[in-house]
Amino acid sequence: MKVEFQINNSTSPNARFLGWAPSPCRIRVTDPSGAVPPIADIAISCVSTATGGVVVFRKGTTGSFASTITLKVPTNGTSVPFFTAGRFGRPSLSNPDVRIEARAKLGLAGGPLILVGSVKVMVRVRKNAESLTAGERDRFVAAFAQLNNQGAGRFADFRNMHTTVSSPQAHGAPGFLPWHRAYLLDLERELQAINPSVALPYWRFDQPAPKLFTVDFFGVSNPNGTVQLSNTNPLQFWVTDGVQGINRGPRNNWVPTTQPGPTVITEAQTLALGTQYPAFSGLEGNPHGTAHTRWDGFIRQIGTAAKDPLFFLLHCNVDRLWAKWQRLNGRFDPASAASYDSNPGNPIGHNLIDTMWPWNGITGAPRPPTAPGGALASSPCVSAPGPQPLVSSSLDYQGSINATSRQGFDYDDVRFA
Amino acid sequence: MTTKKSAPKTTKRRSARTSISIATSQRKVPKERVAAFAEAPLAVCETDANLQAVLKVVRNKEEPVEVRLAAIDTLATAAFSVVAFESCRHDYIATLREVAKDPNAEIRESALGLLAGEKDGFAQEKLLEGLKDPEKALVPPEKALQLLSYDVHAESYEAARNVVENPPSEVARQEALRLLAADANSGPLFEKLLRDKDEYRAVRQLSASALQAINPDKLQKHAREMLLDSSEYEDIQATSLTALNQFGDDEAVAKDKLLLKSIRRMRGKAASAKYKRNAKQFLSKYES
Repeated sequence: MKVEFQINNSTSPNARFLGWAPSPCRIRVTDPSGAVPPIADIAISCVSTATGGVVVFRKGTTGSFASTITLKVPTNGTSVPFFTAGRFGRPSLSNPDVRIEARAKLGLAGGPLILVGSVKVMVRVRKNAESLTAGERDRFVAAFAQLNNQGAGRFADFRNMHTTVSSPQAHGAPGFLPWHRAYLLDLERELQAINPSVALPYWRFDQPAPKLFTVDFFGVSNPNGTVQLSNTNPLQFWVTDGVQGINRGPRNNWVPTTQPGPTVITEAQTLALGTQYPAFSGLEGNPHGTAHTRWDGFIRQIGTAAKDPLFFLLHCNVDRLWAKWQRLNGRFDPASAASYDSNPGNPIGHNLIDTMWPWNGITGAPRPPTAPGGALASSPCVSAPGPQPLVSSSLDYQGSINATSRQGFDYDDVRFA
Repeated sequence: MTTKKSAPKTTKRRSARTSISIATSQRKVPKERVAAFAEAPLAVCETDANLQAVLKVVRNKEEPVEVRLAAIDTLATAAFSVVAFESCRHDYIATLREVAKDPNAEIRESALGLLAGEKDGFAQEKLLEGLKDPEKALVPPEKALQLLSYDVHAESYEAARNVVENPPSEVARQEALRLLAADANSGPLFEKLLRDKDEYRAVRQLSASALQAINPDKLQKHAREMLLDSSEYEDIQATSLTALNQFGDDEAVAKDKLLLKSIRRMRGKAASAKYKRNAKQFLSKYES
């Protein structure tokens, strides 16, 4: 007997990526020889290394996950659904480092379980930049450098999305968090098109970052505020607007490798800003804005911030803080008043029912004059949030309220449930 | 599916008005004022009184420097909210221009940094003026060149070329070269620097990046040659390898037996584990 797995309901190898939120899967018998019709009992479990990813399973949309489940699978080829997810705290280190196996008893009852099929997957989540292995770091940096391609690559669109002109779409109103969530997801999917094992890491700006600010990762600032990189680091070829390199220097004697960002509020303080979205969204000032202005250089100002790749790790942490706050307070449901600030005076692009620029392609006042980059990148793993996301699409990113809203990303320290 | 866990109590925070009031009060100690400025950056533009009080701190040379710098940072943070900041913008830029000539070097540099990011003509003029006449310089030449790179144009190139020819310091020379990397006419200069084994390695590394941007075919040719040159420095070979790996013609590299042989030798001989790993990664990509 042989079986075939569908991960994220797809047979494509590109869809074999999991997070903490449950992924819909299917299994079917492709070769019934040796099986006793009409039903085969098939045990599904995972094999992983000591430090790599681990996945767990459940049969339906609810209930607890287990390391092994047994499914009754028709031998006539009809597929049977099940769900799998990464075990919280055990993400993968490389792609693929987890094998899902199917075993069945063939022939006489009481016989051994025989391997009848397997599929390799990766538990891919966004991690603290400080916790990346050298391999994870190098793959991420290489993909980012390739996306920029010395200023001539697709990354130019991302820079053109985040400018002074487009700022009202993304800042100074409740859509700040949803817009940047979509922006990061779009970028991450483009990076994954280059290397599917990559997930966007985050920079904990309220903690020292001794690994991130090294020549092999995001660089060390010289006294003039120019970033120095090693000869093996692909970011040494970073060019934006024709200008070589990255301008970034810590301000006021701050040493980012040993000190948290000065005056940047901590994670605990951020999560305690308030249990209602209007209060929590005050994080746009501090820690978000304050983390930007701890530096001299590109990242200090809106028009130039996205020229520095650190910008995306800073915002990934802002998004993680929102995700953590959402989990802590149960704020995933757009229909719940506490989950968002639905003030009738919100500008366009900041109401739950609004589409978000530039993915909506709408240009001309009150939207910006151009819409760089086209639709939001698709994913082989999930269908949400779609090519033209609404503000409301960003809230239920794990599919906690509606499973089809799952966007295919998770944070290493934010559970699904 | 959502589970509501017990949330921490909301932190008791001062009102934005109180924070601004403390931040701008000369009766408070500098440390407290710096902290207060960071508490409510978005409140700066809520009233004109708030804005004027913060701008007054920035302009006042009698105020402690750390408080003035914190006031500038708060304005820079508030400027991220472009719509809300619009009404503050004119006074903000005018104040930055005023303090760009401040007696304190940190204040000058902070203000000019923000103005340069705004592609401000006044700042560009002052920076160029300082490069031509060091007596008039508001910041060191390397900082001026770095800030001019936010909006490069012919006049900046001319100033940068002058610095390359008569460098006041090595760091200024390197900043001038970074600026010239945006100039398509600088290809031959970077080719020469890249191949000069007596040149600073940082300059050769920078030249590789500049040449890859200006004339990618030339860089790929030089990178290959430097990898075949057994007398070349390991770090420069590592840069060459990274250039080929990232931007090379994969098909041509995979067929280049001489190059692959040289990289196998590099993998075996490299003194640094990092360079060995770099060579190993390269070979795993191109060797079937």
